[in-house]
Amino acid sequence: MLPNNQGRAPTTRIVSQSVVPRDITEKFTQAASKLKTGQLVKDEYFTLFEAVGALEIMDSKMDSGYLGPEENRQGLDDDYDVLRDLSPGEVVGIMDELLCHEVAWHMGHPLSQTLFTSLYLDKLLWPVPRSLEDTHFGRGKLSGDKTEPELVHIVLRAYCLALVKCCDFVHTRVTREFYYEEEDFSTQLYNRELLSHIDHGVIGNLLNRAISWIDEQDTIDTNLNSAIKTRLEFRHEFLFSLQQDTNILQTRSVDRLETCLLMLPTLKESSHMGQPVPEAFSWKIQRKLASTVPPRPMVRISLEDALAHLKRLCQDGIHLNQILDYRGPYNLRVAIWTILSRKPQPSVYIRSLIQTIIMNKSIILGTVPVKQFLYDELAALVLPSNILLEASLDETEVPSDPRFQIAQYMDGFVRRFSQPFVDTFRSACLNRCRIRRTVCHTIVDWDNLQMEDLDEQLRTLSEEPPLQLPNGDTTYSYPLSSWAYHHKLIQFRLILQLGFELSIYAPEELPGMYWYLSHICSTHLGHIDRIRTFIVSAAQRSRPSLAKHAVLRKSFLLFDRLTMQIVAIDALAISLHALYVLLSRHKTLPTAASSQAYSNDQFRYELRMKPFLHITLPELVPYDEYSREATLQGDSDGIVMDRATKAIGEARKAWEATLSNGPFLEDSNGEKPNAPALEEDWTRDVKDTMRACIGASIAIETVKKAIIANRKKGDGAQPLNLQVTIPEAGSKARWHDWWAVPQVQPGMKT
Amino acid sequence: MDEQQAVQYLESLIGQTLRVHATDTRVFVGLFKCTDAARNIILSNTYEYRYPTAATVRDAALAAAPENLEESQNLKLNMTSRFIGLVVVPGQHITRIELEETPQPSRVRESVKAS
Repeated sequence: MLPNNQGRAPTTRIVSQSVVPRDITEKFTQAASKLKTGQLVKDEYFTLFEAVGALEIMDSKMDSGYLGPEENRQGLDDDYDVLRDLSPGEVVGIMDELLCHEVAWHMGHPLSQTLFTSLYLDKLLWPVPRSLEDTHFGRGKLSGDKTEPELVHIVLRAYCLALVKCCDFVHTRVTREFYYEEEDFSTQLYNRELLSHIDHGVIGNLLNRAISWIDEQDTIDTNLNSAIKTRLEFRHEFLFSLQQDTNILQTRSVDRLETCLLMLPTLKESSHMGQPVPEAFSWKIQRKLASTVPPRPMVRISLEDALAHLKRLCQDGIHLNQILDYRGPYNLRVAIWTILSRKPQPSVYIRSLIQTIIMNKSIILGTVPVKQFLYDELAALVLPSNILLEASLDETEVPSDPRFQIAQYMDGFVRRFSQPFVDTFRSACLNRCRIRRTVCHTIVDWDNLQMEDLDEQLRTLSEEPPLQLPNGDTTYSYPLSSWAYHHKLIQFRLILQLGFELSIYAPEELPGMYWYLSHICSTHLGHIDRIRTFIVSAAQRSRPSLAKHAVLRKSFLLFDRLTMQIVAIDALAISLHALYVLLSRHKTLPTAASSQAYSNDQFRYELRMKPFLHITLPELVPYDEYSREATLQGDSDGIVMDRATKAIGEARKAWEATLSNGPFLEDSNGEKPNAPALEEDWTRDVKDTMRACIGASIAIETVKKAIIANRKKGDGAQPLNLQVTIPEAGSKARWHDWWAVPQVQPGMKT
Repeated sequence: MDEQQAVQYLESLIGQTLRVHATDTRVFVGLFKCTDAARNIILSNTYEYRYPTAATVRDAALAAAPENLEESQNLKLNMTSRFIGLVVVPGQHITRIELEETPQPSRVRESVKAS
């Protein structure tokens, strides 16, 4: 993943001095009139498709520069006088309105519809100020004519400048990382600048000056006075916490964000004192902005929403501190995915910041070189105390020495795998839809990277002895491709589970998709067993030292942990699969497709398998086999009911075990991350899954009873007398987004 | 000028920079991409130029000579401009079309002769 390439509009038109315009109106008009209706003269590379995107000039809906007849007299300028006296209440009102606009921008709305509607900011930012001296509201006016009121000049100006500088920090961070324009964030600045060349310290001083000035005012009502003061202080702290940015890796300090968080309730309480000044904001400023889009209305969000968003931003920023200590790749993965799976998802600024923190200039968390990071992962999973990883530590320089050659091969491996591996962490920072899409693409890359021939070359060099299988065949460990396969299976699972979270599957697909999830889980369990077998046999061969024993023990702990998690997922998937099969057999499962729909099960399956078509391993399940497995063909209702009941019991036990294991593992130094907030999130997530288990077992029991009742009445072919609803992802009744547990209630029919 | 010549002439303008004046006095400067019988013009990479507003002119006049506002004076103000990208100017809103040229020596001579 690389930062977006920004196709910025050229800022100024470059014209050579010698250009002269020649009037061709008459000739052009004459020539055009000779054309037939519908005939076009056009650039051969210019398509009609592009032409549709052209803005129509003089059309009020399309042309942001159009002035209607009633506006024409007034022209571009709004009548509002930015130098007018403001009452303290009005200052509070304007500050709060600006804050709402700022947060709306954080949420993804363009500046043209948010902050750039402020006439105050417009005055400060256009024309682009060359220095701090240019940034005052009286620009372009005669200085002697009118003096700026102090409340405006000292207080509001400092607030506005600091706010713009805050935006500058956010803008800089986001544009350096991977984000989706207009989906996550709007980076367009319309040819303006966010005071990027003005030092934040100077602006901080202006804020301090404003704070001490407001302290001295005794004519202002004390409540209003302190409301203004709090806003200035908040802005000061917020400015400096955004300025800290990635320096958090060194400072490990989140004091300022904590202060911000404490101030938010005060901002809310004093907001009623603000007097709105709607004239100070105008969407008409859009007609002065360099913009290739039609005019759009101003975006309004409530102060409550804005403060709630800020609260989350501060909290996420504070908790960021808990992912910074490096305790091995496994723990980092848990921490990153936990913080980024919060609902609502952390804001784009936090997500961009985490991307940088994960890896910047090939360094993980600001301390660990990427090679070390990858080696730690390999050591934990497939190569505990193995020569392949140790070879590069030797200073062998004889090219014929196998160690030298191994080191060479391993360097090549690191070059190819470090970026994709780090991206499995960084992709968590995208928005949820994009995570799934990205993983669908990267899974193909991982398949291509899985290189058995590299393993074979390394095997000859390291003289790895083969392992005899019970059936007499021999095989080798293929550690590097094993590791790649392990990651590929994780990505398979993620694609499926995010599919449930993003409500991609129709209800009629749920039986099949939960079967497929359990199929991937059982493949994964088999694979982990294979890795474990090879490590055990290698250990038996080499009679490891005490130190190596400890390393091995850590690996086995990790395997147990992984196995337990996958078993838990597998069991819940199996029971939901069985439950949905029952509902579908008895025609009580809601369907999204109508009976006349062109789509059918096979088409839907082909569509779902599209991301996996090019994957060599695990092999694609042919539709016929899938169809048999997904419908549990040949199994009677009784068998399916048993299967559901047993599996849900297993699932509950496995999730309980997972919960008691906790989120993190001890790293090679015996240390665990100290991340109470993330631990809390993780625990909540597992507990939600356990609620889903309980929900599923209740549903299974209800369905069972209904089936038995039907059988007693002798009409086994009739639909069950049940009402089935599948709660939407994100709704309260959906215990966990990844588990679509149906709500089953006895029906109304008698 | 018959149809063939007309098409030829218009095609020779494709890709050149045109200045299209609109009925509301704005000027659009961009690369000529397409036109039709109704003289609708599509320009790409367009900049919009606008005359200074009355208020700006007044302020500038004040700044230049605050004491004798009544007297007429010569002021020089820049037009405001901004990038707006791909636009279509409908034929009925066009008041004037100009072609931007970099004069070659021969052309200069021609224009001198003409005047």
